[in-house]
Amino acid sequence: MRKTINIATTAEDHHIAKLTALAIGLHMLEAVFPSPLPGVKPGIANIVTLYVLYEYGFATAAWVSLLRVFASSLLLGHFLSPTFVLSLSGAIFSLCALFFTQYLPKKYFSAISLSIIAAFAHIAGQLIVVRIWLIPQTGVVYLVPVFALAALVFGVVNGMITKKLIRNNH
Amino acid sequence: MRLFLLYIFFCLLTSCSKPEPLYNTQSYVFGTLVDISIYGESDSQAQEISNQIIREFQDLHNRLHAWRPSELNAINHAFAQGDTPVSIKSDLSAMIQDATRLSVQSNGAFNPAIGGLIEEWGFHHDEFAPKKVDENKLASLVKANPQMSDIVLENGSVFSKNPAVQLDLGGYAKGYALDIALVELQKLGVKNALVNIGGNIIALGKHGDKPWRVGIQHPRKPNAIAALDLESGWAIGTSGDYQRYFKLDGKRYCHIIDPATGYPVQGVQAVTVLIPPQNNAGTLSDVDSKPIFIAKPENRAQAAKNMGVENYLVIESENKISISPSMAKRIIWLDKDAEKHAFASQP
Amino acid sequence: MPKNTHLQVNPSLQNKKPLIGDWLVIAVSIVAVIVLFQQFWSFAPASQLKIRQGSTVVGIYDLSQTRELHIKGPIGESIIVINNGQARFKQSPCPNQYCVHQGWLSHAGQVAICLPNQVSLQLLDAKNTYDSLNY
Repeated sequence: MRKTINIATTAEDHHIAKLTALAIGLHMLEAVFPSPLPGVKPGIANIVTLYVLYEYGFATAAWVSLLRVFASSLLLGHFLSPTFVLSLSGAIFSLCALFFTQYLPKKYFSAISLSIIAAFAHIAGQLIVVRIWLIPQTGVVYLVPVFALAALVFGVVNGMITKKLIRNNH
Repeated sequence: MRLFLLYIFFCLLTSCSKPEPLYNTQSYVFGTLVDISIYGESDSQAQEISNQIIREFQDLHNRLHAWRPSELNAINHAFAQGDTPVSIKSDLSAMIQDATRLSVQSNGAFNPAIGGLIEEWGFHHDEFAPKKVDENKLASLVKANPQMSDIVLENGSVFSKNPAVQLDLGGYAKGYALDIALVELQKLGVKNALVNIGGNIIALGKHGDKPWRVGIQHPRKPNAIAALDLESGWAIGTSGDYQRYFKLDGKRYCHIIDPATGYPVQGVQAVTVLIPPQNNAGTLSDVDSKPIFIAKPENRAQAAKNMGVENYLVIESENKISISPSMAKRIIWLDKDAEKHAFASQP
Repeated sequence: MPKNTHLQVNPSLQNKKPLIGDWLVIAVSIVAVIVLFQQFWSFAPASQLKIRQGSTVVGIYDLSQTRELHIKGPIGESIIVINNGQARFKQSPCPNQYCVHQGWLSHAGQVAICLPNQVSLQLLDAKNTYDSLNY
């Protein structure tokens, strides 16, 4: 006879699991495709984080985001490697940014604003880690404007996609 | 809204690329690069002014050339023949008097009378090759003790009491030309200009609302080691072992020769001096680095003091850099390694 | 399905176009990016190479290419290479070869000069770090 351990799961758990799986999929997809500039990635997994923030609230978004970082790094074999630390610091910083920006008046600020701000927070978190831990030389500062530009562009694009997704759902 | 943003964006872009009234020209005089920047004049006017200054430089160069037929060359010939006086133009006479005064002030470390030694080392050619010198000849040239004070100037003529005196104004003329250029620029009504003759620079006015900023070449790397703001009337000059030199059996022989030994100075890569505004700031920027360059390490501070130089920088090697306290306040290090090794000496 | 009510978006405000606050965020971000470029790229890798022969500017070349240039001077032909943001004298007819020994130039403001052939290379950036070089 087979013994199964039953863990009580709620419908919300299932939702989180599905969305996290989607985020992991997108994260992996990005990891597989080489980026033209090392370190510059569109961060499409963040679309899921933003979507979850709008549909389920901040706590769920934080779960999805952090689970995605841990699970993806395990799957890619990056766990506890520099890539993982960069990913994690970026995720934590953008979650912090989202925690505050979720209170911006919805009348004036849509997902686009949140997406841009989160993208900037993301690179800020990553650069701080790079600067103090990985490459303490000055060389990396040359890349700061490039990263910022990428954050702006992808922030806008991801924000617009998120906005469309939320709308279509209603 | 979008139009407004686009407008702001373009304003920002154009504010970055707005052309400024800066004219810059380069030409080759004195066997080196002459670089003139003029700020605040129309391009055509600035061009005319710089052409005039370059013509004057060319003229001065032709008169002072050490190894091609020139006024100076003729005088050197006469010196070698004996003590028969030959005629000399008044401005050249004044130059020799001034150089003599500076030579005495430097206790003979700055000595434009050692043209014979420079010739023997092979630096009297546009293109020079590594050369094995004749040690006996060097010794006799040093022993002959050519000094500026051997030159006698009277009634528009000149002769030398010592036939070994051979004038080489290579360490004087470029700086002198800077002073001439400054006077000329002011006469022509120019308010802001920067003149660079083979690395010696003098500033007039400002670059827009900021002072002129000059870089100081790293003696061993292809970039600037530091930068500083050159206020109006200030001049900067460097003696370095990297400008004219040859390598023989792995050893570097530079064009700066110690008159006391007859050999090129070893063990120092560059000496930079910064000269405050005065009538002959350009000349001093050229001359004053030499005695410091030639002095033994322990005597450098004294050599600077003798010449009245407060602001100077000595680079002995990549990790041995000393700088006078007043110069340390002005300098902006660009090479971070150099900054770490720079050490402010006592005044 | 538990939904966070305070995040609920009023459908009437849903529009494909970004909202006024979004434009504000975008504008601030653009300014931030421009400022960052100005701040960090003032000493940054150079973008252009200015070549002079005698008193004339031979040309200004973009550094983001691979190219070989032959410049005729009074004593022969200097060969200059541009390669991925760097430039150098590759060959020179001058006897001392100082210019060739200077090696690669990659930062704005760097200069290599071949006096005998009267050819000079200068790396440029939108904002030069100094007006002239003391050497």
